[in-house]
Amino acid sequence: MSNKDDILKRYRANVKEKFFDEQSGKTGYDMPDLSDIKATTYSNPLVQFMKMTEMVGGQVLEVDPGRDINALIRELFPDAKEIASNLPEIKIATRNPDTVDCASDLNGTDVGIIRGKFGVAENACVWIPQTMKEKAVCFISENLVILLPKSQIINNMHEAYKRIDFDEEYDGYGVFISGPSKTADIAQVLVMGAQAARSATILLMPE
Amino acid sequence: MSTAHSNAAKEFLKNQTYAKWHDATFWAVRTKRDNMAYGLDEWEQLREKASAIKRHTITHLDEYLDQFATKAEENGCVVHWAKDAHEFNEIVYGILKNHNVKKLVKSKSMLTEECEMNPYLEQHGIEVVETDLGERIIQLKGQAPSHIVMPAIHLNHNDVGELFEEKLGSEKGNHDPTYLTYVARLSLRNEFLTADAGMTGANFGIAETGDIVVCTNEGNADMSTSCPKLHIAAIGLEKIIPNYDCLAVFQRMLCRAGTGQPTTTFTSHFRKARPTANPMHIVLVDNGRSEWIGTPDHWEVLKCIRCGSCMNTCPVYRRSGGYSYSYFIPGPIGINLGMLRNPQKHSGNVSACTLCNSCQSVCPVKVNLGDQIYRWRQQLDKFGTANPQKKMMCKGMSKVYGNENVYNLVTALAHWANLIPSPLINNGLNPWADGHKMMKFPKETFHSLWKKGKVK
Repeated sequence: MSNKDDILKRYRANVKEKFFDEQSGKTGYDMPDLSDIKATTYSNPLVQFMKMTEMVGGQVLEVDPGRDINALIRELFPDAKEIASNLPEIKIATRNPDTVDCASDLNGTDVGIIRGKFGVAENACVWIPQTMKEKAVCFISENLVILLPKSQIINNMHEAYKRIDFDEEYDGYGVFISGPSKTADIAQVLVMGAQAARSATILLMPE
Repeated sequence: MSTAHSNAAKEFLKNQTYAKWHDATFWAVRTKRDNMAYGLDEWEQLREKASAIKRHTITHLDEYLDQFATKAEENGCVVHWAKDAHEFNEIVYGILKNHNVKKLVKSKSMLTEECEMNPYLEQHGIEVVETDLGERIIQLKGQAPSHIVMPAIHLNHNDVGELFEEKLGSEKGNHDPTYLTYVARLSLRNEFLTADAGMTGANFGIAETGDIVVCTNEGNADMSTSCPKLHIAAIGLEKIIPNYDCLAVFQRMLCRAGTGQPTTTFTSHFRKARPTANPMHIVLVDNGRSEWIGTPDHWEVLKCIRCGSCMNTCPVYRRSGGYSYSYFIPGPIGINLGMLRNPQKHSGNVSACTLCNSCQSVCPVKVNLGDQIYRWRQQLDKFGTANPQKKMMCKGMSKVYGNENVYNLVTALAHWANLIPSPLINNGLNPWADGHKMMKFPKETFHSLWKKGKVK
C-alpha cells in the first residue's frame, strides 16, 4: 500500500470510529454557512485603503490624470540607477524581468515597478498575480512601486478572495502585498526592510 | 513538588529585569491583538466560523487531502506523503540529492523543527540556511526557537549585536536593531542568490486549487522561492482547508490574533513552480496527526493555525519563557501537543497552567486549550508521571476530608502548628514552603464560629 493510501486509511478509520453518528448516518461536522458573515465595509474604501497603507509603513499617492508616470517615479527616486519593469508604460526601466537570463540578475535593482489588480481597504493588501517571467522583481528590489487602478479598491478579504485570479500566461503564483518588508525579530523593535523591498509606494492611477 | 517546568523557570527568573521585559512585551502583543479584535464588529462571529470550518475540515480531512493532492498534481507539482518525521527527512533529502543541491535556504517552518530536519540534512552534507531573521539568529547561536512566531525573543539587541560581530563581521559595539537587521539582510541576500533550492512551510493548503499559502512579514519565503531553481513546501496534514472562502476567514484572523497586525506583509499563493524553475515538490506530513484525530479529548488541537496568541496571553508563558517547557512548542498549545507526542517525556509541562483559560478565550479557532490541560492532569497517574509527594498528599487529604470526625479534629488542632518554629517548617524538607509562605492557622475554626453565630 502506498504511503498516501496508508495515511488516508488510518485517518478515515479514526474519524469513523470517533465521529460516526448512527442516528443521522453522518460522520463528522457540517461545513458552516459563510454567507452570513457580517464583514466590515467602509463608506469610502479608498480613504480607508490609503490610511491603512500608511499604517503598515507604505506610501500612497493619487496620480492626477495626464501626469507623466515616468517623470513622477524619477522625482520620487532621484538617485535610482537600476530600474526594473516589464510594464509597457514604463520607459525608464534599465532591466526587464521578462528578458533577464536568471532571477539573480535582478539583484541590485533600486526600483522595481509592477502592477496591482486591486487593493483591500481593511488591511492595505494589493493583489499581485505573477505577470512577469521572474517574479523576483517583486521582492529583490530595494524600493517597490505598485501601479494600482484607483477605482479597484474593495472592502475586505472576503470580497478579495471572491475575485482573485491568476494570470493566464504565468498561472502559478500570486501574492497580496501590504506595505514594505518588515521585522521586529531583534528585541521587538520594528524595522522596515527585512529580506524584501525596504519601501513600498502605491501609485493610485486614474482610469 | 517542583516540576520540570518550574525548575527550568527558576533559571529564567534569575534575570528579573529580562523576565519583567518578557512579560511586558507579550502583554503588549496581547493588547495589540485586543485592539485588532475590538476593531472588527464581526470578530467573535469570525472565531465561531473559523472553529466550525476547522471542525468540519479535520473530520473530513481524508477527502480534502485527496482533493488537494489531486489538484496539486494536475497543476504539475510532485506530491509526497510522509508517515513520520524520519520519512519526511528522507524524502526531503532524496529530492535535494536528485537535484544535486548543496545549499538550501528556508523560511520558517515549525514542521521542520518538529521533524528535526536541519540536523538530518546537515549530517548528509547539505548546508541549511534559515532566512527568517529570528530563525537565522538562533541558528547562528545554535539554539532552538523560544516562541513559534517570535523565535529569538529570549535574546536582546546586545546579544544579537555580539553574535553578529562574531558571525557576520558587523561593527564592534553597534547594537542598533536597524543596523543589525541591515547586516543580516546583506548576508541573507547573498545566501538567496547562491542557494540551489528553497524550502517553505505552509500556513494553509487549499484543497480546491492546490495552492500552498505562506504568510510572512519579511518576504523571506518569496525570496527563498524566487531565485533558486527548486521549491519544496512542507505541510502538516491539518493545514489543508477547503477553499478561498475559508481562507478569507483565516487570513483575516491569523495575524490579527498573533501579532496584532491587520495582515502579514506578504500572503503568497504558490500553485506551481515559476516558468524558469524545476517542478515544485509538496511533502504532506502525518507524524501522529492521523492518530490524534481519534483521541476523544484532544482531537481539537488539530484546529490550531499556529498564530501564537495562546502563549502571548498565558500568564505562565509570559513569566517563564519558551525554554522552560520540554516540548519545542511552548505555551498552552505546546503543552497539549507535547502530551500527544509523548506524555511520559512532557508531563512536566502540564503544571505550567493556572487554568485561567485566557488561552482559549483568545484562540481564533477556539481550541479548548485550558480544558485539555486539565484533562491531561487527571491522567498523569496512568502515564506513571504523577508526582509521588502530591499523590501522598492527596491520599492524606482524602482521609481528612472524607471523614467528618477526622476533619473536625484536624482543623481544631491545626493552630498548634503555628507554634512550630519557622525554620522547622520553611526549609528544604517541606516542599510546600518552596515559593509559598506558610499560613497561620486560626485558633477557632469557621465551623465553630458559624455554630456560635459569630459569622454575620
